[in-house]
Amino acid sequence: MTGYLIKRLLLMVPTFIGITLIGFLIMRLAPGDPAELRAAGGLGAAAGAGISVEKRGSVDEAIAQWRAQYGLDKPLHVQYLVWLKNIGTLNFGESFKDNQSVWSKIAERLPVTIKLNFWSILVVYLVAIPLGVYSATHPNSFGDQVTTLAAFILFAVPLVWAATMAIVFICGGDFYYLFPPGGLESIDFSDNWPIWRKLEDRAWHIFLPVVLLSYDGFAGLSRYMRASMLEVLAQDYVQVARAKGLPEKRVILKHVLRNSLIPQVTILASILPGLIGGSVIIETIFSIPGLGQLGFESVLARDYPTVLALFTVSALLTLTGILISDLLLAAVDPRIVFGRRQQ
Amino acid sequence: MFRARGVGVLLLCFLLAGCREQADITVSDSQSIVDDKNAGSPTTGDWLIIHALSDPEQLNPLTSNDAGSSEINGYIFESLLSRDPRTLELKPLLAEARPEISQDKLSYTFKIRKNARFQDGRPVTGEDVLFSVKAIKCSLVNAPFLRVYFNSVVDAQLVDPYTIRFFIREPYFLNESVLGGVIVMPRHYYDRENLLHSVTVRQLAQDPTKLPAEVKKFADVFNRNYNRHPLGSGPYKFSHWRTGSETELTRDTDYWGNGKEGIDQPHVDRLKFRVVNNVDAALTRLKSGSLDYMESLQPVQVVRGTSSERFERQFKKYEYYAPTYTYIGWNNDHPIFGDKRVRQAMTYLTNRKQIVDTVLFGLGEVVDSPIYFFRPEYDKTLVSYPFDPAKALALLDEAGWKDTDGDGVLDKVIDGNRVPLRFEIKINAGNTVRESVALVLMDELNKHGIAASVRQLDWTIFLNDVKNHQFDAVVLGWAMSTAEPDAYQVWHSSQAANKGSNAISYKNPRVDEILEQYRQEFDPQKRIGLYKEFQQILHDEQPYTFLHVRKTVSAVHRRFQGVEVFPDGLKPIDWWVPLAQQKYANSIAAQ
Repeated sequence: MTGYLIKRLLLMVPTFIGITLIGFLIMRLAPGDPAELRAAGGLGAAAGAGISVEKRGSVDEAIAQWRAQYGLDKPLHVQYLVWLKNIGTLNFGESFKDNQSVWSKIAERLPVTIKLNFWSILVVYLVAIPLGVYSATHPNSFGDQVTTLAAFILFAVPLVWAATMAIVFICGGDFYYLFPPGGLESIDFSDNWPIWRKLEDRAWHIFLPVVLLSYDGFAGLSRYMRASMLEVLAQDYVQVARAKGLPEKRVILKHVLRNSLIPQVTILASILPGLIGGSVIIETIFSIPGLGQLGFESVLARDYPTVLALFTVSALLTLTGILISDLLLAAVDPRIVFGRRQQ
Repeated sequence: MFRARGVGVLLLCFLLAGCREQADITVSDSQSIVDDKNAGSPTTGDWLIIHALSDPEQLNPLTSNDAGSSEINGYIFESLLSRDPRTLELKPLLAEARPEISQDKLSYTFKIRKNARFQDGRPVTGEDVLFSVKAIKCSLVNAPFLRVYFNSVVDAQLVDPYTIRFFIREPYFLNESVLGGVIVMPRHYYDRENLLHSVTVRQLAQDPTKLPAEVKKFADVFNRNYNRHPLGSGPYKFSHWRTGSETELTRDTDYWGNGKEGIDQPHVDRLKFRVVNNVDAALTRLKSGSLDYMESLQPVQVVRGTSSERFERQFKKYEYYAPTYTYIGWNNDHPIFGDKRVRQAMTYLTNRKQIVDTVLFGLGEVVDSPIYFFRPEYDKTLVSYPFDPAKALALLDEAGWKDTDGDGVLDKVIDGNRVPLRFEIKINAGNTVRESVALVLMDELNKHGIAASVRQLDWTIFLNDVKNHQFDAVVLGWAMSTAEPDAYQVWHSSQAANKGSNAISYKNPRVDEILEQYRQEFDPQKRIGLYKEFQQILHDEQPYTFLHVRKTVSAVHRRFQGVEVFPDGLKPIDWWVPLAQQKYANSIAAQ
């Protein structure tokens, strides 16, 4: 096992370097220039009225100065090597936007995104497994058909649309006011509030984003759960268990459920990157100050150091996710042994 | 089954929490309907929650370059001069009076108020002004885009502790405005070790590699460490900045300008700039009571989203024309658009009135020149080009564009080759107004045998193409200020080279002459005369098809009194809330 772990960890290094190289190239070969963007007065000019007249003019020298300051005047491969060398020491550089260290910007926002994703994964599994179990134990019943239809509809609904509709209809516009239309705390939130009131305020704010972030996941996962459960139900040993007179509840929970959980563990590895992608949309629409919002703003502003750092962090998370789910698989499935061939 | 019940309980908790909170907010909202006439006299207190599309980049007024930062910095910092919001004339702020200008217009002397104080109680002196100029001029400070304005400042010296004199390279009528705009930053806070003391402004403008080590040390610290804790002399103090969600300022109860004639008096206790990245979500927040002021609503929001009785009861909408204009730029170096008759024809084919009526829902005015519509320099005698396809086709015919090969597209022989009248209009993706303008025009042109197409590009890519003159036509906008215009950067032929702002390569010797003369003319009446001629030449040549100036519509909660519309827009510093209507109770005054 230890040998396997070391091998896997070592394998992650070239994979990781490959990912960062591709990420670096995608970011840097994409057209657009952060210096020009700043000279034109930022992104407001794109959406709003236009480029500020006074901020233009003989700014070429200014742009050259700015580029030199951030090392953007060097050849691309030199920039990559410098960057790679720096992340070796966990130095992600400084943001173009405010000269703050990118690491501190990420550290500031990471807890929010982790919180959001933790609750989402929890909701995904808490909803998907009972739903899947229900569907599989009552196959083709009315309830199964309703959950199947609902799952497919949810699976097909684009997140951007669902989030916008939620804001327009249930967040206090002209219709219903059930949830706040964004943010993590109320305007008058104060540290002097009693703890239960703080918790309540935060729960109220995070509820809708968590539901939106997880519906796609639980809709999909409940289908997997149903399928794998039905497969297990058809196995001979289930017949045997029933034949020897075990109560149905025990058959389902002890024998069937445990065995059909194995594939769900593997899926965890693929849900994680999906949730990170989903947080970009949800955090931007709900103005939640997490990594997704930071990433979105940084891509638009071509804030290379920040974008690359975020890319690196999510690549690492995904690689770790895959590793963890492989290890978990061994834990739940005694048939899988890593490291040496079974005799 | 027990699991499912667990989820249900959790859901119920959340829902209950939701209902409770909702009740709180609607109650305070229903109280805030205000009768304008019973307002009484200005009083302090309450908060103003302002919508911000994103975080400010940083709160260092020199190193930031975005609109969000300058809006917030405008409450914290002050400059030597400011502008009267009604007349747009310069008036003293931290200076005692407008500067004394020498005969040769090359030196400006400012006297600084003796009673002005920074927010930490220390006085504002000439040393602070000198430090601020040094910081701008220092080539290691990350303010290259601001430094461009100060290129012609050669030196600055203290005459006495409260008097500073600037020396300028060449006469320019806007120099007073540029120098008066120097943001005064406290030296004792931003340069604790007084590292810039021994260098002069003249030395700082030199090659950065030759600067002494202590200047490098200063710039390093200044660029990094002062971006999130600003300290100035303005009416509002920095309170906190929660990344990605809000920035809060509190009223400085010891503000030096309190009760002083001619100085803006702050009333609201707290200004909260609340980040909502999405404009639809922002409107919902406004309606739900968690925003008080939303600037620049989308045209469709003005017409459809904010006209209900409930909205009108809670909010008042204010309209003004921000100093901007949208245009179609024709690449004057392009073989098709080099001919002024073709450009005129394009303007005749652009139904500008209809664009304003349909794309902008009537929220705009057609303009015919690059000068802000409401400035005295704008030539009101220009006769607008009407929408007239027949005249356009006649002009194209006169210019030699005919459909000789019968393929439905006009063509002409240029340099021995038959060239079809085919071109591309570039726009930036995500701007619906510019997109609609381009599509409306494309549609009209295609009807008349002109093969126009539209291409959308990401903003940064688009910007790059425009600067490198890689386009046939573009739809774009310029933002100006309401102050005296200077069209040199956009229209002088020298600005066509080196990626300058004259991206369409407009060149006219007489226009160059006017633009140069105008910059050195200190008599406003003569400047107006010069610009009338300039606008008439542009009107004839149509290097741009000028489209419209948009009407900005902003919504403010009705509990705020003293809201007035100025040419520049609204000025929240004047607003106040009568005691009975104040929504947020725990004010700084009560502490």
